[in-house]
Parts: sequence; C-alpha cells; structure tokens
Amino acid sequence: MCADLVKTICPFCGVGCGICLKVDEQGQLLSVEPQQNHPISQGKLCDKGWSTAYAINSDQRLTQPLKRINKSFYPISWQEALTTIADELTAIIDESGSQAVGVISSARASNEDNYAAQKFARAVLKTNNIDHCARICHSPTVAGLKQSLGSGAMTNSAKDILETDLMLVFGADPTENHSILGGHIMQAHAQGTELIVVDPRVTRLAKLTPMHLQLKLGSNIALINALLHVIIKEQWFDQRFVESRTQGFEQLAKHVKDITPESVESTTGVSAELIRTTARAYSHAKRAMIFYGMGITQYVSGTNNVISLANLALTCGHIGKAGTGVNPLRGQNNVQGACDMGCLPNVYPGYQAVAELENQEKFSKAWGTKVTQQAGLTSLGMTKAAQSGDFRALLLFGEDPVVTDPDQNHVQSSLKNLDLFVVAELTMTETAKLADIILPAASFAEKDGTFTNCERRVQKVNQAIAPLGEAKGDWQWLQALAKEMGSKLLNWQSSEDVFNEMAALTPPYQAMTYQKITDNSGLQWPCTNETPNGTTILHQQSFPIGRARFICVNQVDIDESTDDNYPLLLTTNRLHFHYGCGSMTRNSPLLERETPPGVLFINPIDAKALNINHQAPVSIKSRRGYVETRAMFSDDVPVGLVSMPYHFKEAPSNQLTNTAQDPVTKMPELKACAVVVAALAKDQVPKTIQQLQEGK
Amino acid sequence: MLSHIPDAIELVDYIDDGEQARHYQFRLVNINKPSEKNTNNNTAKHHWQDAQPGQFFMLNVPSIGEAAFTFTEPPNEQGEFRALIRQMGKLTTTLFTLPKGDILGARGPFGRGWPLEKINKKNIIIIAGGCGLAPLVNLIDSLIDNLTASQQLVLIYGAQNKQAQLLTTERERWQQHIKIYNSLDEINDQYTLVENESQGTPLDIVDIALATFIKPATTALLCGPEIMMNSAAKKLVDNGIASDDIFLAIERRMHCAIGLCGHCYLNERYVCKNGPTFSWQELQ
Amino acid sequence: MEIYHLDDLSLLQQHLLAQYQLYQVVKNDDKQCSWQQQTKERNEPLIAELPQSSAKDFFFAEHENLLIFNGEYFQETLPTPAPFVLFGILSCDLTAISYQDQFFKDDPYYQARRQQCLLVGLDCIKPCQQGFCPTVDAGPGVREHTADIILHPLENHQWLLISTNDKGTEAIKGLSLKTCHWHFLTQRDLTLHQCEQEFTDDSDITQAIDKLNNGEVSDSFWQQLAVQCLGCSGCTTLCPTCSCYGTRSITDESEDKKVITQQRFWDSCLYEGFQREASFHNPSAEAGKRVQRFWQHKFGNEFFAEFNRHGCVGCGRCEQTCPGVIGVHSVMKRINNNA
Repeated sequence: MCADLVKTICPFCGVGCGICLKVDEQGQLLSVEPQQNHPISQGKLCDKGWSTAYAINSDQRLTQPLKRINKSFYPISWQEALTTIADELTAIIDESGSQAVGVISSARASNEDNYAAQKFARAVLKTNNIDHCARICHSPTVAGLKQSLGSGAMTNSAKDILETDLMLVFGADPTENHSILGGHIMQAHAQGTELIVVDPRVTRLAKLTPMHLQLKLGSNIALINALLHVIIKEQWFDQRFVESRTQGFEQLAKHVKDITPESVESTTGVSAELIRTTARAYSHAKRAMIFYGMGITQYVSGTNNVISLANLALTCGHIGKAGTGVNPLRGQNNVQGACDMGCLPNVYPGYQAVAELENQEKFSKAWGTKVTQQAGLTSLGMTKAAQSGDFRALLLFGEDPVVTDPDQNHVQSSLKNLDLFVVAELTMTETAKLADIILPAASFAEKDGTFTNCERRVQKVNQAIAPLGEAKGDWQWLQALAKEMGSKLLNWQSSEDVFNEMAALTPPYQAMTYQKITDNSGLQWPCTNETPNGTTILHQQSFPIGRARFICVNQVDIDESTDDNYPLLLTTNRLHFHYGCGSMTRNSPLLERETPPGVLFINPIDAKALNINHQAPVSIKSRRGYVETRAMFSDDVPVGLVSMPYHFKEAPSNQLTNTAQDPVTKMPELKACAVVVAALAKDQVPKTIQQLQEGK
Repeated sequence: MLSHIPDAIELVDYIDDGEQARHYQFRLVNINKPSEKNTNNNTAKHHWQDAQPGQFFMLNVPSIGEAAFTFTEPPNEQGEFRALIRQMGKLTTTLFTLPKGDILGARGPFGRGWPLEKINKKNIIIIAGGCGLAPLVNLIDSLIDNLTASQQLVLIYGAQNKQAQLLTTERERWQQHIKIYNSLDEINDQYTLVENESQGTPLDIVDIALATFIKPATTALLCGPEIMMNSAAKKLVDNGIASDDIFLAIERRMHCAIGLCGHCYLNERYVCKNGPTFSWQELQ
Repeated sequence: MEIYHLDDLSLLQQHLLAQYQLYQVVKNDDKQCSWQQQTKERNEPLIAELPQSSAKDFFFAEHENLLIFNGEYFQETLPTPAPFVLFGILSCDLTAISYQDQFFKDDPYYQARRQQCLLVGLDCIKPCQQGFCPTVDAGPGVREHTADIILHPLENHQWLLISTNDKGTEAIKGLSLKTCHWHFLTQRDLTLHQCEQEFTDDSDITQAIDKLNNGEVSDSFWQQLAVQCLGCSGCTTLCPTCSCYGTRSITDESEDKKVITQQRFWDSCLYEGFQREASFHNPSAEAGKRVQRFWQHKFGNEFFAEFNRHGCVGCGRCEQTCPGVIGVHSVMKRINNNA
C-alpha cells in the first residue's frame, strides 16, 4: 500500500508536468498519479508519465560500476572506477592537453548536475569541451532567436494557450511529443480558438482543423517569406510595433517583395490561396501564438527557419503580450536548463559568452581557478576529433548518441576510437555498451534538484526513493571524481548548495531559492531582483538587444533530394508512447506493446507500388546505411514521403539520416534524406541492426 | 475461486508441419503422481479429460508468459495431449527454441467448444483457413468415426500457398471418408493444380461444395481469419443455412482465459468465457 | 440495521485503529487528496473529498505477483494483508467496489484483500465539482449494501452511525454508543435529497445514454472523437470500475537458481496494442472502435443487464484527467450536440 506521495516533476518532455510518486513502506516506488493542481498539467499526464514507475523500477537498471575488459563488463567498486578514470584523465591531459578531453552532459539530468558538469569541464579539466543533446534538437532556436530577439527561449507560457485567438503550429507534433501542451491546444481549439497547422505529415492536430498547410519537406522559409509578402503588401502588419520595437523592416519588405504566394506554390506544395488565407488569419488575429518544433530546427537551414518565424511574429507585433510569441517546444525535460546551465561550448551559465574576457574573469574569480580561453568543441566536434585521434577521453551521461545522433556508424566508430570513454546511465544503452567504464546513475526519483521546462519554469524535483543499488546522482560522482583528481573545486553538501552557487553566477536565476520555487509551484526566468516572482512573458517592454532585428533569409533546399536510386524522402517523427532512445519508456510492457520494435510509416499508394503489405517486413536504404523494419500503412504521410520514429535501437533511423549540417549551429539535417524502400520476404522477421552488423 | 495457476507439463515431442508450424506433444506432469500438490487419487478422472472439441488451453512458457491454443488431441488418461502451434510472436518463437523434456505450464480446458448436440447427425459444411483447421481436428475425427449412412460432411480448406498447408497426414486420412476441397491463395507458374484443388479463397468454392451435398447442408462450422468467416457466414445464410446453425471459432489475444483480464472482448462478451465458438446469430 | 448517535468521531477512529490498519482520505498542501494510513498518533480530520486515485488499488493492485515458477512447478502467491478499514469512503467509490466485488467474485487475489477490509462509508451532503452520482444511482448518500458502516454528518460535529451488517456491528462492538431514534434516518434522507437537488442539470448525460443505446451514435462520430484520444491510460487508471489487466513474466537469475515471477498489471483498453495479436491482426485497430467500446462498457444496456447498474459511478475523474478533453462530460455533451 502507498505510504507516501512525493511531489515532483515528470522526467520525460519539456512540458514539465507535475507528478506524484507513490512510495510504499519499504521505500519502493509503486506507481504515480498526476498533481491535481499543477499550474500546467492540472491533474493530467501522458502515457509516458503514467508509465514512469516501469522505467525507474526496471530490472534492467545498472546498480554498480562496471569495467569493460575486452568485450565483457565486470563489476568494480566505485573507488576503483574513480581511480581508473582519474588516472587516465590525468595521463591524457598531461600528454595531449585539456583539448583532448571533454564532457557531454544531459538534458535529462537536473540543473544541478548540468551546472556541475560544465564546472567540472571548465574548472577541473580546463576545457570548454562541454555540450549536450540540444545540438540535435534546438540549437538553431538558441542561435536564431538570440540574433532576432536576443534570447533563445520560449517567449510566452503554457497558460497563454487559453488566452490567445489563433495558434499557428509549425513543424511540431505537440500531441505526440508534448502531449499535455498538445491537449491545451486541443482544448483551446474546442473552445473556439483558431488552429493552423503547417506540417508535411497529417498530424493529430491537422486532423482537427481545416487549416492544414501540408508543405513539402524543408520548404519552410519559402512559405514564411510568402506569408510575409502578403502581410506587407496588404499592409496587414503592425506598423506601430514595427516602428517602435524593431529594426531592419525596410530591407525585409524589399527582400520579400517578389516572393508572391504564386511563386512558391511549386516549392512548397501549398496553394497561393491557402497562403493568403493563413497570412490574413495570422495578421488579423488580435493575439496569435506560434509554436514550433523539430520540423523547423532539424534542417540545414534550421537557424534561418527559426529567424523566419521570428520575422513573422515581429511583423505582426505578436510578441511581448499575453497570448502571443514565438514558442519553441523543447524536447527533453531539462533541455532548457542544460542550456541555461552553460552546457554548451560557447557560453557559461546564463548564456554569458565564453569569448568575452570579462566573463572569463568572472568565472575564474568565482571558481578560484583560471578558466581556459580556448574555444570548445561541440558534441559532433568531439566525435569528429575522436575519429582523428585528437580527442581522447569523454565523460558522457544520460544520453544515447549511438541511437539518437545522425549517422550512427560514424558515431560508433568515433566512440570506439577513444582512449577513455565513461558513461553514466540508468540502463545498458547502445552507447554504454561502447564504454570503458559505466557508472550507475540515480534516476530523477532518487534525487533532489531542479528542472527548467520549455516555458522557462524552474521546478523542484524531490527525492522519493533511495538510489538503486550503488547508483549515484551525477553531481555527486562528478564531485567524487574531482576529489580523486586532487581538485576541491566541486565542494557541495547538498543539491541546494549547488543551486545557490549557480544562481549567484547566473543572472536569470539570480533571485531563485529552493524555498521560493516550491512556494510558487516553480518560477519562470528571468527571476531577478527586479522581477522577484519571475517572468511569464518575455520582451514586454524591450528586447535584450534593444530593438528586435529583422534578418532577411532565403529558402535553402534540403541537402539530399531524391533520384532514381533513392526515390523516396525519409523524415523522422516521434511516437507519443515513446521517448528519445526509448531507454526508459521501452521498459513499460504497455508502451512496448504499442508497436513492433521499429516501424516505417508509408502511404498505401507508395506501398502498393512497391508490393508492400501492411505490417510486412521491409528494408530501407540510404547513401549511409541500411535497416530492416515493418511497414505501417498511413495516410498521414503523403505520397513520396516515408517516416520513421527514432526510438528503436533495433531499427535506428539514424543509420540512414543525413549528416549535412546547419552552418551556424552544426545541427544535422535529421528531417530529410533520400532512401529506397523494398519489400522483404513475407515471413522474414526484420533483422535488427545488431544482427545485420554481426552478419557483415 | 478461479485459478490462475498452471499445471506443470513436459514438452514430450514435436514434429514439423508446413511452414513454421509444429505439432507439439505435451504431458501433464503431476496427473498420475499423487503428491502434496495433487491430492487426486490415481483412479479418479482428472479434469483435463473433460476437454471438448473446440475448447482451448493456456500454454505457459515461463520466461515469456501465456497464450491460448487449441488441442488437436485432447488430454488422455495419462495426461498427454497435442497442439498445432505456428511460430508467430515472442512466446511461440521462444517455444520453438525449447528442447524436449523442458517443463512448461498449462491451464485449462477453457471456453465453450463446438456445440456437439447441434452438430450430431447433421449434414455439415466445414470451412477452415490456415491454422484455423487446428481447432477442428479432433471434432472432424470424431464426426468421421460416428458418420451415419445418410449424413454428409464436406471440408473446404484454404491456405496461402502449398507450403503453408498444414495437417497433411490428417487430411489424407479424412480424404478416405469425406469430400475435401482445397484452395490456395497463390500458386507459382510451374505448379499444376491437383484434383479438388483450386486457386483462390475458400469463399470461391462454397457454391461447389454446397452442390456436393445430396441432401442440403444444414450446419456450418467455420474457423480462420475473421474476415473470411464473416463473408462465408453471410454466403451460407444466403444459401439457406440458418444463422443459429452456423458456428464460428473466434480468436483473440488473451491473458487470463477466465473472463477477467478484458483483452478478448467481442462487444459485450468475452471470447474466453462465452466463446471461442459462437453461432452467427449471436454475433449479429 | 442499527442506528447510533456519535458525539466524537475520534472515539470511533481510535476504536477501529485498535483492530485495523486505518486508511483515510487526506488533503496535502496542494489540496490534493489521497488515501493515507492513519496511526494513533497521526489522525487527521475526516473530509468528504474525492481522492484523485480511487480505492480500487486496495483490492485489485496496480501491480501484483500471481505466481512463481521454480523450474518444476507453479506456486500461487496470494497476498496476506492485515485487516484494514477504509474510513470515510464516499458513495461513488463504494458503488464501484460493489461493482468490482461482483466482477472479481471468484478472483482469489482480489478476494484475499477484500475479505480483510471493513468499509466505513461517508455520506456526501454537498455536490462535488465533476460528480454526477445521482444520475447513475451511485450517491450522494451511501447505498446500504455497499458499506459495512455508514457515517452521516449532523450539526455540531455530531454523527449518525449506521451499521448495515454483521461485519459492521462486530467492528463497533465494545464502543459505547447511544442508539437513536429512526427519525434521524428521515432527516438523513431529507438532507441527501436536498443535496441531490443541488447537483447541476444532468440532462446531457441522460440524453446521451439514451442516444448511445438507441444506436444513434455513428461510427464516424467515434472516429472523429477518437482523434483526441492520446491513449494515455489516465481515464482507465483513475476509473474506479475499470479492471482490465495485462500479464508479464519477470525472470530473476541473480542467485544460483532461476525464479520466474508472473505479474499482472493495470492495462487500458484504449491502447492500440490491447487486442493486437501476434499475427498483427487487431480487431480494435481503429481508435474510434476503442473509444466507443470504452463508453459502451460504461453506459451500454447490455452491461447494465449483467451488473444491474451502469459501469459508470459518476465520479467525474476522467473529465479532470483526460488531456484530450474527452472525459465523460465532454463526450456526453458532444454526443448530444453532434452525434
């Protein structure tokens, strides 16, 4: 029977729903229920949230440190693990310098863990080689919005959904990936709020509205420029806002002057009429909100896509007010926090540029050690440098790049090339299998700390159960490792100590304390001495860069188009019952039952032409890789486009995806590549990638 | 109280039949060994012997779980029984790797089998598709054993292709006594159809099969894919067979087999408890 | 039936605590209500509030081991709970227990827990936010056959205590109570009747039930409605009468011998995989079919006939927890307006 109900935050997506963990007398996690009065989720959870206990209680959990000897792992003590790592790190730094080592932290870990990770890298290892997975979800958001608006975060809040008149959902599938927010959108729509969906696939939301712009893959900028063309030509823009709050409008007007809706019909596949209707609806709405997701960011034009959306909102003055804004839907529970904490090579906590001497001095002084001036590597930069042998040791936690990063084979061979690869994880992921040392990580239910959700709300995570076996929280083992390396720079007694040190150095978090966060059911940054109760809407009076900037951008086609050998386009999507690499959700017998391990969504017309049956085994090949899986007929993907979720290690879409990158952020183009699909023999069970590779 | 607890069975033997299918022979381990667990005395009839044609049992592959299968030979006094099992999902794939002598579990017999009182002495058309022939095996055997002079029995058996045909020995045995039509969904170019064999689905031969009857068929037994059964039932009604004389064996995912887990629902009924055989009338 | 007057509720609590583990609905700082164990030292005031999670987990556990296999034979693992009391359980949840008592009548695990439980019901004298128990004959007053003891609040913190059966009478033996006049029962009826009048208009629900049973709801209506079903399992998890479960095997090889446990866990008929077979055949592959079945199960005449009541007890939990805004009130309203 349930003895205790511990309030905490759901560990899955960036919405940050309130969840209660039910714990029995023996301290075992039994199950969960929603927090009835949570400001966002109000008594609701998605299927991932409801299944949390399966992920935490999994018999697959790692409970002691493991060391790899040849191809097998053997349990070792924490002391042995720490000594081994410390000795090897020190040796590598002595030989090759600090640029040869680095840390990849996790958007799933707490702010405290992430702060500790970047401090460990910068203060102990003396390198800016620190990154996390935002690289492959929202780095273009940070880069694009920073240029346009001066701040790379969701401008408004979840509650604004019920205060707006129009919702423009652009390249996002919120009911599947941010279900509770998606639910708010459905609720608002049911109550009469207009809904416009822009997506190559017929998403759930697209099924609810007549306004679905089913654009061709990667034609976002052409479409947005045409929308701007109409709005400017028809004088539908917000002149007062444009004059008083922005700069560069003239150039933008000139830039889109000839980009008529007719001129982009063939590029976008959207009728000029629908473009005009959309332009009218968005510009005429009293308040309108833009939501976007990885259908905007995961392109070679990712940063420019984000900039275009900012142009659109700024033109119509739909920013800085309730029920408006440019709102990226961030993937992981704490991807906002991991960015805020400075787990990026180019910024310290609070987005303070590493390149600025002033900031280097601030952190050198605060940490009592001189930080390096040398620029750091991104996660892809680290794997690339590992390939050439310049980068030799990596500490990684809470991520599974082998499944989630593009071009899996490249990632795998790079990681294998490392002299020291340490992974801290809950379960034996595909990435962990390549590690030299695996450390058992504590789950969110086993630690105190904070997560920052996509609306910048910093929320308190509370420990409900003791860490499983010998598992440790991330900042705890990083601190122990620093000590083992002879450094006393990471010296905290509690998560609260870490938070307080961080808040003192991170301006947007300045006025936050654990107590205040708890009392207010979370605080939205910036929370400073001027705004002690946080900020629900950004840019109300001014932008951090003064005036917002219109930046002219051009349509960039997808890097890899179809040809005779690869006649179909492949995009990636997510399924609402799985999350990321599936290492947590796939422990639930309920969620795991929902699909076979890996699926390919294909339009029945394409399938018929290829002689493929529903649920039949198929092969998919791109210029980079080959996988086998099962075909799932779906009218939700248009003819010529197939789609694959990336949750499944058996049939990873990232065997196939393109590595072409956004020049600004190095974001890979995960949303589009050319493939060829073929039917396999009827009774053949699709081979997993592991079986295929062993067969080679 | 209902029991969720399987009896231990030994995997005695198996032989391949068709593509990815096997006849398994199992033996109930504790049936004839009085022990603390089984206080039945030696001579008493054990409940497994009550199994009726069309009833099913839950096979427990301990590391995986349970799934429902029908008997091709019901348990005898020694507790031996047989089932035809096709390799399909996780449970059967694991079963196919297990060696003879392994201990597994079984619960049963469950459900409502074929309505023998309504079948006896009738002119019967039987339509089976693929694995759907399995639940009919011991019924056909006993019908043949008791066949009267005036009674006629015709079987239509459909399979995807020649390789997918199952129960060849049984069908050869039955062929001596009753008329059998075979349909194959697909045949390759070199293949020549033999007697009473045609390309297509069982539905294509219903008219021919019905014409075989000297006195019209009055009863129908169907087992196979649900779409096939539904179409066949409609066709038979059109041909004058009453809807309460047409019986279908329905397949559903099951976890408990005792009407609790909810998985096998069919409208307001549970296939495990109220089925697996239903009259066409009941399904309307 | 015996009727008593109770001046001090804590006397009853203390009396029961001596014989039972006592669970009661408690409200936390966030106004969230849940069942919590009470002790002699920690004893919170009785509140008539609906806990977010119903009491079904007390009898039909969310996860439960059914048996173990040691390599030779299978052994039942029946639970052996100490006697416990659900103190102050509301009528809708009691009705649901009574419904599940019938459904799980022959389930040994359910019954092993149920036999150990004393149910002390609490009358609601104010309607709750989402509730519509009077519409489905499940409240606001406790139905006699659903509880062993019924508590009814009187003025001045006094209580009417009704023992409905031997189990109730046995439980209060030794407690000094004043029997009281039957006219208090009349007064209780009046209060409950007045409470019933205060519930909001339920015609949406009654009319929708009729439409549902007259075959007036089209397949296309269900399909369109089901676009909003995210398959989260929230409704089936919180619904006090939902009882579907799945099973799985867990192998523990940590020691020198292998033990396999078979477990059952709450399932949801709204999951796409609920009925999918190993062959991929899925009789309820369409979300519309699954959503329709769910509501048919709660309000269909064919189920009413079996249980002598609706499968819905009017607690309204599904309305609060559904992210897709298709809980009971929303669905019934849409059936009336659009079906």
